[in-house]
Amino acid sequence: MISFQKKELIIPYTILFIVMFLSVYPLLYMISVSLMTSGEASNQYLLPKVPRFENYIEVWSSNNFQQYTLNSIIISGLIVIGVLCTSIPAAYAFAKIQFPFRDVIFYSLLLSLMIPEIIALLPHLLIIRGNIFPLPFGPSWMNSLQGLTVPFFGNVFIIFLLRQYIKKIPNELWDAARMDGASHFYFLRKVVIPMSMPIIVTVSLFAFILAWNSFAWPLLILTKEDWFPVTVSIYSFIREAGTQYNLLMAASLISIFPVLLLYFFTQRLFLESISNFGLKQ
Amino acid sequence: MSKIFSKYSEQINGYIFILPAFLIISLFGIFPVFFGMYMSLHKWKVFKGRFLGFENYQKILGDISSFWIFILGLLIMIASYWVWSEYKDKMKNRIYCFVVSSLILLISLYLINISWANMMEKGDADFLNSLIYIFYYSFFAITTEVGLGLLIAFALYQKLKGKQFFQMILLFPYITPAVMGGAVFFIIFGKAENSILNEFIGIFGYDPQLWLFDKRKITEIMFGIKIEGFFAGPSLALLTSILYGVWSYTGYYAIILLAGLSIIPSDLYEAAKAEGATRWQTFIKITIPLLMPIIFFLLLTGFINSFQAFNHIMVMKTSSAGETMDVVTIEIFDHFWDRVKFGYAAAEGVVLFIILNVLAISQYVIFRKRLNYD
Repeated sequence: MISFQKKELIIPYTILFIVMFLSVYPLLYMISVSLMTSGEASNQYLLPKVPRFENYIEVWSSNNFQQYTLNSIIISGLIVIGVLCTSIPAAYAFAKIQFPFRDVIFYSLLLSLMIPEIIALLPHLLIIRGNIFPLPFGPSWMNSLQGLTVPFFGNVFIIFLLRQYIKKIPNELWDAARMDGASHFYFLRKVVIPMSMPIIVTVSLFAFILAWNSFAWPLLILTKEDWFPVTVSIYSFIREAGTQYNLLMAASLISIFPVLLLYFFTQRLFLESISNFGLKQ
Repeated sequence: MSKIFSKYSEQINGYIFILPAFLIISLFGIFPVFFGMYMSLHKWKVFKGRFLGFENYQKILGDISSFWIFILGLLIMIASYWVWSEYKDKMKNRIYCFVVSSLILLISLYLINISWANMMEKGDADFLNSLIYIFYYSFFAITTEVGLGLLIAFALYQKLKGKQFFQMILLFPYITPAVMGGAVFFIIFGKAENSILNEFIGIFGYDPQLWLFDKRKITEIMFGIKIEGFFAGPSLALLTSILYGVWSYTGYYAIILLAGLSIIPSDLYEAAKAEGATRWQTFIKITIPLLMPIIFFLLLTGFINSFQAFNHIMVMKTSSAGETMDVVTIEIFDHFWDRVKFGYAAAEGVVLFIILNVLAISQYVIFRKRLNYD
């Protein structure tokens, strides 16, 4: 390993500062453009002459933007809850309960990670339209909250991450709990979930970012604006003729904000799970 | 009844616990592939039409047997690697092994070349080109990401102040939603002549570029030569979307590689130091070989994952870039969203699925005896 002497540490510092600058530059530029007049923005100035904070107010109060943000929050929140509700018991069962074909089922579910999303989109669409089998809650889930969320309630990757963590909980705990007459459900609720809180927080963040990011699917199933998430609204904003870049950037910044906020609170856990997961995949 | 229940309660509990996840994943994760295959055999515009057999595939690939020859070529290419890795240490003379595996490699390249030319001639050129574009995208994005990631990981491995802070910032592009990130890139890489980026490259004496609005191939822009076909490289517009990929994933790979660096046992370095090895020698003989499995693994999985890039390319696509940014996912999406050709799009999806599976096989072959040192 090349390890540097103290004097030479300038090299890694320089590399890191350049990389850091490049990493945040788009965000800084986003902030800068969002405070410009539309003329300054389309002339690609570096900084606004006078910062115009009115842009934020204009975006926030126009074009149903509040509605879109709220939609994104509802959709992502619901997906996180749904994913946790299905994944935690499943991960627990795959890690700790003995039942026939357990590992076969687990690995065949893992195989589904290999399937590109774009292939699945089309059959999903037909399912959502109720063409393949009748759906509960209405003949079609197009333009509906359940259509936007339910397909994402199962996530193999998250089950996998949770399972790896829950596996490490010693079996003796369950043996002791069973002696006292605890059921699996009770044990899961009172012991496993509190002990797995770090990983649960991390996967919730993963799921939230994934859901906040989702774009192709809402674009596909929403024909009306009622349930537009921010991603789709920003996309249609870009595609409009004569887009005002300053307003576009203000809108983008507002819609990145929740993700950034969550990231700042959970970054340590997030970092750890990425470094662990990357190697153990 | 209750007796049976208590006897099997463990099993029943297990199945009940996995049931919701299992139902949703099989319905939305696994079933679509089979249904997609079923759809691809039909004329399907919004509603199911008549049975077509392999007609959709015929249209896409021109000639289905060429496609299989192409796949065979890829598999033979993997086999050549397998021969090399399996026999290079068993044979007394490495030369023979090298000759044999390069011969096999040549055969595979020949097969790939003729079958591809054949498909191009008779098939859907837009779709086949989109495969080439996604190849450019994945190849250039992942090699740059992992290469730069390695550099950053080395820098982070030193005893520095504020390491945690650097890491936090590094992951920032990774968590930025692709649509919003794409929106800023759309402005930064715009066509304005006096944009900051164009001013910046002007310092180094370059002319202002059109970036996302430029469909000329990169070889044409850089060297002024017009080449047709595969070796012309990506268009400037596609290259810009590759830069987005690099921006958003490099930090992520750096963090993983840093974790890889830190699990190399430090006694190895101390032993090398005691033997009087220079820093460069230690780096070449210890760090790189031990890190190689991880690098390779990241390259391959990253390559496969990049094949699915969609969101930011969709956002950054401009009409003046023409079809040069229509990577395979965009092409498929376009077919069923804009042109409502469901059966055709499904068939394209199946072709992509087959190719991805071949890549996955290569991953398996390469990592079947992965070094393990933890």
